[in-house]
Amino acid sequence: MNIYSKIRELAKSIRAQNLFVAAKEINGIRLFRNTFDFSKIQEIYLTHLYNYDSINRDIILEKISKHVFDNEIYEDSYLIWKRKNIKKIDKKDKKSDVNLVTGKTIKFPKKD
Amino acid sequence: MEDKRNDAERIVIEMEKENELSRIEELIRDNKIIFEYKDKKYRCRLLNLKEKEELDTLRRKKFGQLMKDKDVLLEKDLIIQYKERGIDIGELDEENKKLTAEEIDLQVRLGAAISKNEMETVLKTYKEQIEEIQAKKKIIYTQRNLLLEFSLENSLLNFVAQIITYLSLEENKDGKWQRMFDSLEAFQTYEDEGLINKAGSYSMVLQYL
Repeated sequence: MNIYSKIRELAKSIRAQNLFVAAKEINGIRLFRNTFDFSKIQEIYLTHLYNYDSINRDIILEKISKHVFDNEIYEDSYLIWKRKNIKKIDKKDKKSDVNLVTGKTIKFPKKD
Repeated sequence: MEDKRNDAERIVIEMEKENELSRIEELIRDNKIIFEYKDKKYRCRLLNLKEKEELDTLRRKKFGQLMKDKDVLLEKDLIIQYKERGIDIGELDEENKKLTAEEIDLQVRLGAAISKNEMETVLKTYKEQIEEIQAKKKIIYTQRNLLLEFSLENSLLNFVAQIITYLSLEENKDGKWQRMFDSLEAFQTYEDEGLINKAGSYSMVLQYL
């Protein structure tokens, strides 16, 4: 049994994903018995829960097909690409000048 | 008849899969792991602050001992010795770096292809290339680990793993959890290696992995 793959498999399961979404939205639903001092395996599991939640949301929004779940390489590659893309978008959005009206740019004075 | 046998096999495989997942779920449920060994109950848990300090003291002491031992070399000195004998670990590291860069590049390209819903054949080609790189990296990783198995750093890591097990293992006595060992010597001379190995894997799952 490869423990890393099994943790992923569990985090990917419909039951775990439903519980994760519920725990985010409903106060009182807990993923673990402990609420702090997470063990290493719990931290890894949480990371995978977040990752699979992110993929699931993109599938629901029809950004990608569910075939991304065919293997771990597809899943990892999609997440790596997504992270890189988000960084690019962030960089684009970080402009010192802001367009409030189309065609007009407000130039903010530079700080000394 | 054949269909029924296939169905039965499928059910057994699914049950085994479910069992494995349930076992993982058990490990994840809490920051403590309770397990049975020879009809007795044991528990591994995270170290508290006092135990972490004890671990740190023992680690420093061991580090001092290892530094004085002329038979134990630091990783960097071992690498120099290997180079003199014609084995270049630096080359392995360089190769690994190169492969990692190639892997990330392919992963980004595959991710982009997935986002564009490209054909399965395209995705499969990238996947196979990534698998090939990962296999090469695995070989390098194993080679490097084998070569540096006896380095001071590695000896210290193994020692730390032992100490974590020593500090975190508890036994259930009349419904109460108590530290299994009251001294490092008692732990190191304990005769049942099976229990120590089992507890060792669980404590690693909790604090190292």
